[in-house]
Amino acid sequence: MADIANEVQQQVRERRPLTLSVVLKNRWFLYGLSILVFFLVWDMTAAAKAFRSGLPRPHEVALQLWRMLFDPLAGKSLLGHVWASTQRILIGFTIASLVAVPLGLMMALNRYVNAIVKPLFDLLKPMPPLAWISIAILWFGIGETSKVFIIIIGTFVPCLLDAYNGVRLVEPELYDVIRMLGGKRRHEIIQVCFPAAFPAIFAGLQIALSIAWSCVLAAELVSARSGLGFIIILGMNLSRPAMIVGGMVVIALVAWSMSQLVSALERFVCPWKREIDGR
Amino acid sequence: MREESHSCQAKIVCEDITKVFIQKGTQRVHVLDHISLDVKENEFVVILGPGQSGKSTLLRIIAGLETPTEGSVRIDGREVDGPGPDRGLVFQGYMLFAWKTVLGNVEMGPKLRGVPKKERREIAAHYIHLVGLDGFENHYPHQLSGGMKQRVGIARAYANNPQVMLLDEPFGQLDAQTRYFMEKETARIWETEKRTILFVTNNIDEAIYLADRIITLEGKLPGRMNVVYNVDLPRPREHTDMAFLKLRHKITEASALTL
Ligand SMILES: Nc1ncnc2c1ncn2[C@@H]1O[C@H](COP(=O)(O)OP(=O)(O)OP(=O)(O)O)[C@@H](O)[C@H]1O
Ligand SMILES: [Mg+2]
Repeated sequence: MADIANEVQQQVRERRPLTLSVVLKNRWFLYGLSILVFFLVWDMTAAAKAFRSGLPRPHEVALQLWRMLFDPLAGKSLLGHVWASTQRILIGFTIASLVAVPLGLMMALNRYVNAIVKPLFDLLKPMPPLAWISIAILWFGIGETSKVFIIIIGTFVPCLLDAYNGVRLVEPELYDVIRMLGGKRRHEIIQVCFPAAFPAIFAGLQIALSIAWSCVLAAELVSARSGLGFIIILGMNLSRPAMIVGGMVVIALVAWSMSQLVSALERFVCPWKREIDGR
Repeated sequence: MREESHSCQAKIVCEDITKVFIQKGTQRVHVLDHISLDVKENEFVVILGPGQSGKSTLLRIIAGLETPTEGSVRIDGREVDGPGPDRGLVFQGYMLFAWKTVLGNVEMGPKLRGVPKKERREIAAHYIHLVGLDGFENHYPHQLSGGMKQRVGIARAYANNPQVMLLDEPFGQLDAQTRYFMEKETARIWETEKRTILFVTNNIDEAIYLADRIITLEGKLPGRMNVVYNVDLPRPREHTDMAFLKLRHKITEASALTL
């Protein structure tokens, strides 16, 4: 009876001969090529002293990072500074998402919650999170609290907004399906509302994460004795471009890994999306 | 006397249904006008009407998803006052749960009713087999073709064991060949598991191929009932039978007058 569906699924693996054009169109080849060209252009620009001594060559940056791994700066090795920034982000991001996502879901599901929270939220939403830095330092001092506070402010908005919109955009007829099958309101929420909103929630978390990095850097640039922002500022004060660029590279790497982690979590929670964005 | 015995037998009774939507607070859209119909147990009734004639609205009222402005719907003599598992609805736009596999979609009804896992797996497997999707249990909807998606929609409705099946232009989005194939399948499924079926379509061939009785709606809003045709051609039917074509001609002629 399997052929009644009129379609037979076959596993076909194409074997193409390895010609030049196949190699040229290969995804991995193109990835590698693009990165290689980037480093070449960088190295040539730096070697030609286009920014005088302002731009270190790639291997100088690598060397600088290697040294920082073992020679502590302000009492912390490179990994210590990475952890300092990451820890701030983890705390702020976790607090914000644990509060903002449920709040956004509740706003979309309950019009009283919506009526109470929405005006306040709309008022505070357009304020750039960095505008809070000075007041945060006044309130909480220059310690950890003010930095975490900035991150919470910055990540709260996308977390809440995307959870809210995720629920809002659910096809209403899907609720009808549940009702027709005999489900109650709570089934509509558990079986339709949440899973349908998951992708939007994760999109919000990804945006929040990148905002969190901007926030923690800004806060560390203003005042800190640790963290990747501190390394950058130190590099500037010591006129060590390799240290500045090294800090930037490490930030990019760590931020990228964290967003990969969130993507992995999303693939775990939303397995139905796996094949859609597979390419 | 005759009236009495008639309504005893009828599974679905729609009495004088009128529906007016209020749009944007003031604008009234009169969609259905005094629709009365009844469907006997295990009868296959097709509602045939052109686009925008209120077909979906009528089906949603019978499903209990909309309330009629006037009139009432009774299933087995009990007045409908909300959606319920005694009716199964197959949606015009599939409406599958994208986050559930074929199996997860089909077993949703029993799951909501608290049927234990093992038992509902068996139920689901039975209906997945009935619609011919064996081997696709673990596929997600986006991995299926349109025809296969609607099979899942049909299996999902059947798996809840409703007494009445309501199908809203289930094959409207399919190409002609697949559609023809799915009509054959629908007839086969109906023969295997008899249910009372109310099937909405805008396609005359589909209506004649499937129906015991065809109820035509007028082409303009508000939707009014037009002619009712009894189709007593032997099954399985052939689109090219003389009798088939004659009835097709008759319905076309009659509806051309009102369009
Ligand atoms: N919830 C609603 N509010 C306001 N107007 C509505 C609503 N639902 C349907 N209508 C109106 O009722 C009319 C008939 O809609 P309906 O979906 O019942 O038609 P249909 O016969 O199913 O059309 P189609 O063949 O295109 O599916 C349309 O003009 C539509 O604008
Ligand atoms: Mg319709």
